[in-house]
Amino acid sequence: METLAALGSAFGQFTTPQMLFHVVWATLLGIFVGSLPGLTATMGVALLTTLTYTLDPDAAILVLICMYVGAIYGGSRSAILLNIPGTPASAATALDGYPLAQAGRAGYAMALATAGSAIGTLVGIALLVLLAPPLAEAALRFGSFEFFWLAVFGIVISGQLTGGVSPLKGYIAGLLGLMVAMIGSEGIHAHIRFNFGIQELNGGIGLIPAMVGAFGFAEVLTVMWRRKANVIDKPAERDRILPKLADLWRYKITALRSGVIGTMVGIIPGVGEDIGAWASYAAARRTSKERASFGKGSLEGLTAAETGNSAVVPGALIPALTLAVPGSAPAAVLIAALFIHGIRPGPMIMIEQPDFIYSVAVMLIFATLAIAIFGLFLTRFFVLVLKVPREILMPLVFTLCVIGPYALTQRTFEIWVMVAFGLFGFVLRQMNYPMAPLVLGIILGALLDKSLRRGLTLSDGDLTPFFTRPISATFAIIIVLSIVLSLPAVRRAISRALDGLLRRHREGMSDG
Amino acid sequence: MLRDSAKADRWTSLVLFGLGAAMLVGGFTMDRLEIRQIHPASIPGLVPMILGGAMMLCAGLLFWSARRGAGSDAANLVSADYHPQASAPPADGSIKNLGFAAGYSVIYALGLVGEVPFWLATAIYIAVFYIHFSWKTGASATQRVLHMAGGVGFGLLGAVAVSTLFAEGFLVRLP
Repeated sequence: METLAALGSAFGQFTTPQMLFHVVWATLLGIFVGSLPGLTATMGVALLTTLTYTLDPDAAILVLICMYVGAIYGGSRSAILLNIPGTPASAATALDGYPLAQAGRAGYAMALATAGSAIGTLVGIALLVLLAPPLAEAALRFGSFEFFWLAVFGIVISGQLTGGVSPLKGYIAGLLGLMVAMIGSEGIHAHIRFNFGIQELNGGIGLIPAMVGAFGFAEVLTVMWRRKANVIDKPAERDRILPKLADLWRYKITALRSGVIGTMVGIIPGVGEDIGAWASYAAARRTSKERASFGKGSLEGLTAAETGNSAVVPGALIPALTLAVPGSAPAAVLIAALFIHGIRPGPMIMIEQPDFIYSVAVMLIFATLAIAIFGLFLTRFFVLVLKVPREILMPLVFTLCVIGPYALTQRTFEIWVMVAFGLFGFVLRQMNYPMAPLVLGIILGALLDKSLRRGLTLSDGDLTPFFTRPISATFAIIIVLSIVLSLPAVRRAISRALDGLLRRHREGMSDG
Repeated sequence: MLRDSAKADRWTSLVLFGLGAAMLVGGFTMDRLEIRQIHPASIPGLVPMILGGAMMLCAGLLFWSARRGAGSDAANLVSADYHPQASAPPADGSIKNLGFAAGYSVIYALGLVGEVPFWLATAIYIAVFYIHFSWKTGASATQRVLHMAGGVGFGLLGAVAVSTLFAEGFLVRLP
């Protein structure tokens, strides 16, 4: 009942012409950003953060959340029409969306993607409202020992899941992020580390310039390097642009399951929307009766992918709000934006600002309504958006990359940081190092550093409490198991053992 | 380009090993603030030392896996079935385009911005970027002049629009 009252109060707060205006432009801009290959949700949120300094906190966070939701959804447009995911989150969408577009059903594929995204976000919002308050309460029991393991857990899991074929590269990216976080004044004794005599480094590397570089400048370079793609811009004349209720009903279980999977993936620190989409897609394919059509224009596959990636957005905000640990890269920027606007995410949020979680839920609901309306009724317009030439768009984007970091502190040094991270990020991406653990490392570095040293001070240098306190021990076991299971030798041994067991089982069956 | 290959991994592992070693030494030789009588377990260099060691270990594993010839697949965890785009070979692009985009953008951000008025720097950047990337080799002299004029116009328009939006709309101070 209290929850409903809080949600109702938040609805009242955000149902003003000014707030609705923010929802409209920010969601449209988000869909625009997500639609264009090369402009990611992280970049959109990072650039927009620099524009929200003068807005009041509620409006600023509303704008950023609408951008986030819109961009993740917008990625499906180019995935369907170009076979190039607008954002990495839509990579799974392209598998079935593009074949549908080739078959003259682009409009219907986009309509189904819209419905899937809306359902996914709504499932995620429900879980956000249900899970965030108890999680924040549980996090109040966390001490330095637990926060240390939480930071390590975030880096390890993020590195492992985003590393694709090589978790080792994910771990290395995470370590690089942690190393970057060691630059500047440390949080216990205010001692300056690794500033190399450069005064500007005393405060450390700013997250916004680093993110704008790694996700903005690096993307500009990637887009200009890539060959141009061809847009399928002639949807069949009789193609529907509204999803059939029968299709939505037929895939209700798939949509709900993908929504739950996406939200759970979102809760895992630093993993993100693309993994949510792939995990939902894989689960749908395993259980589908139409398995053979997956990858060839399956409506179920498309629904699973889009529901899965959109559900990650509210999921990623759960740890971001309650633990100040981002569930995805855009959520990392949102944490930085929250601090800029005087909102302190973390375990104390339910004590200091108990209504804020419900406000975020309402912001997400508004953003979902906006993507549903714009997605279904502006289909033709978004096809035109994809035709904006890259030589027009990219110099404008880079100009924003220069202004954004500068606007934060009015220091030219931030532009240098942006450029350095852009070049560095581009090279790392080409070598298949994921960016999410790097970002998570920058965010969690201070937490890891302070928690380890504070914990050791409390225990007088004794490491035992890190392994004997119940929550710490659980984290430690999960981390060790995750690392051990990612070792190729262990994986081969397990695979051999399972094969042997299966063979013996089959032999036993045939003997019997 | 080396990109995601065993050779690239070998070279990267050497760089990362050096970085890890530098971090380890940097953490070890960092001021231990004995004069402030801090707890020995809270010295500022502790975590940098651990991170340096961990990076050296990871670099060693990367080198070892690359030497085995398996490249990135050596530490395969997520199957292609689950993460299909991971197994797709990346499409190559134009190194010339990349070089121009990177070099010219760096010159704009670190050379032009701050030295000349922001709107002028931005107009030059946008105009040259546009003209370069949309240049048609077989075009006639008239078409080229028109193309360049269009580029200059777009540059000026873009620069004024961006500057006005940020300075007047969002009250942001420009570089």
